[in-house]
Amino acid sequence: MEKILTKKSFPAWVKKLQSYTVYAPEKQENLWSYEVIQNPDKLNLEHLNTVQAPKKITFPQREVFLQFNTSKEGKPQIKEVLPKEQPTVIFGVRPCDAKAITLTDKVFGEEPKDPYYWSRRNQTTLVGLTCNTPPSDNCFCLSVGGSPHAKEGLDILMTDMDDKYHLDSLSKKGEKLIKAAENLFKPVSPKEKKELEKIHRESEKKIKREVKDIKNIPDKLKNMFNSPFWDEEAMSCIRCGICTYLCPTCYCFDITDELTSTLPLNGKRVRTWDTCQFPDFTMHSSGHNPRPDKASRLRQRILHKFQYHVENYQDYLCTGCGRCISLCPMGIDIIEILNKVRDHE
Amino acid sequence: MVNLEEIKKEAKKILEEGKVKYIIGYAKSSNILMAAPVFIKKPEDVNKLIWNPTCFQNLVKFLLDEKRKKAREKEPDTRPVGIFVKGCDSRAINVLLQEKFITREDVYIMGISCEDLGVLDEKKIFKKLKDEKPEKIEFDQGKNIVISTKEKTIKIPLKEILAERCLECTSSFPVISDVFWGDRNNRSPKEPFKSLEQIESLSQEKKWDFWQQQLSKCIRCYACRSVCPMCYCDECVVDSINLAVTADTSAEEKAQKIKWIEKSPESSENFGYHLVRAMHLAGRCIDCSECERVCPVDIPLRLLNKKLEKVAKELFDYKAGLDPEQPSLVSSFKDEDPEDFIR
Repeated sequence: MEKILTKKSFPAWVKKLQSYTVYAPEKQENLWSYEVIQNPDKLNLEHLNTVQAPKKITFPQREVFLQFNTSKEGKPQIKEVLPKEQPTVIFGVRPCDAKAITLTDKVFGEEPKDPYYWSRRNQTTLVGLTCNTPPSDNCFCLSVGGSPHAKEGLDILMTDMDDKYHLDSLSKKGEKLIKAAENLFKPVSPKEKKELEKIHRESEKKIKREVKDIKNIPDKLKNMFNSPFWDEEAMSCIRCGICTYLCPTCYCFDITDELTSTLPLNGKRVRTWDTCQFPDFTMHSSGHNPRPDKASRLRQRILHKFQYHVENYQDYLCTGCGRCISLCPMGIDIIEILNKVRDHE
Repeated sequence: MVNLEEIKKEAKKILEEGKVKYIIGYAKSSNILMAAPVFIKKPEDVNKLIWNPTCFQNLVKFLLDEKRKKAREKEPDTRPVGIFVKGCDSRAINVLLQEKFITREDVYIMGISCEDLGVLDEKKIFKKLKDEKPEKIEFDQGKNIVISTKEKTIKIPLKEILAERCLECTSSFPVISDVFWGDRNNRSPKEPFKSLEQIESLSQEKKWDFWQQQLSKCIRCYACRSVCPMCYCDECVVDSINLAVTADTSAEEKAQKIKWIEKSPESSENFGYHLVRAMHLAGRCIDCSECERVCPVDIPLRLLNKKLEKVAKELFDYKAGLDPEQPSLVSSFKDEDPEDFIR
């Protein structure tokens, strides 16, 4: 279902969605961030890449699995904590970030399905926005099978057409959102349809960065596990978690018990993000770590995204958002690494 | 003015002579507003070297990796590592020498004076550009930066977009070096602690609110710790590897190891992490402000360290990193040290 919505009517539509928690990108000082929108009149969808992907909403950095309490008689009580079922809409989702959510859907959708992830995910409607101009200098979605107007994972794709938005509703969740304020939408004229196609075509031409012949990379990587290449590339890495925590596709996590008291034993079992870049990642209880240095950690990041995930799910674990490049304090650039891998003898 | 060709010539010479193992310097990165560290082993690669106000990084951090690497090698190459340092970076070397983390023979220090400039603050540039993307930059006689975007070309005096720390810097030239470029003029900024004024003027409650709000943004990526040349603990308080495990360590011992700070990015845990780090940097931080630059969520971390620097200056007339022989702030005392904080 395709519709036209004037920009003036956009806040009115959002106001009709009272039963949802509404997130959209908001500029806070210098940075764009997905925040709960209190005042729809202030909404504008002119954001550059947000620092954190909407992953922070669908797969939060911390969530409680269960609570444990010990009564005076010493009898332990364990109570599972599932996320509150709250319908949520996220506006302004970039196609790369939506694609990323479909990748984590596959991982958390394998049996046994992850109830914590899905109780949140099933309630989430993703309203995307075409990137008429790339929201980052380091966008390379075209190289990894995406596009600035890709629909994968989205419930609605909006495209900015000057004083109006074109809306393409792609799922039942999307239709439901439009039905909430049906009288605000107009049908699409043939002229508008043509204009839309032009915007979409042009948007692809504006992506400047690319990884050529990316198809050869997974095979190439198979023979590079022991290459000194990783030592060289990791020289300038400082082992922080920026590249992985800000990545829309990285999904590694840790589970720990956080105690509020030891006697009696009370606390919570929580899941938090984890990253292959940290020293305790894959640390064995013996104290041995199969990934002892930064070269093996950088290699893990690249191999997971471009070899292991391809073997397991037939897709790259990267959607070309460019965050890891833009925010690496040392200028490590995954596009340059991949190009070097491709040309590696 | 510092001449890049002279720098390259010296780098080439010491590599050809085999005087150093390799050189840590700056090269271009794919981000035109930021240089990237480069590790040069072959004399012919010295042409990669650059020197300009985008050379933000404090390369001294990489000496920590070098030390650990050397410790693992059976027959390590004992030659020094060549390293380019700015004024602030050189003070970091002094602190590492003072703390005996490295020895003077480990490094061949190639000092470059920032003269009357320093490094840029990317955020200040983006503000001037109003979200337009820079496509080309040039430095015009060390006075201005000329930035071209798709729409326009603008010329900005470098002084308007220098990092705060450079505006408050009192010694913009390396205080320790084996070879040196540029001038040795001391600077005397009128207000060396100006960036603290606003926060100091707030009431205790307001300060608390400010830090609550700022530290709640933390995502615990630890980039601030990872980039800090003073953060060299083998076992950081936030990592759950801080238990010496032997074949005899029981499951109970492993399970009951103390966790000082939980992994959850909750307010209390974030405070724990950042305050422990700040206190560990008292009398050691040399104000390279890399922690603040790299923070992806823009927490003004420099304020914490700058405040401690000010306290050390006012109470003990102490400044970190000026001399490798000076006693460290927290492990020494003088008769005239104030003690009115003891109650």
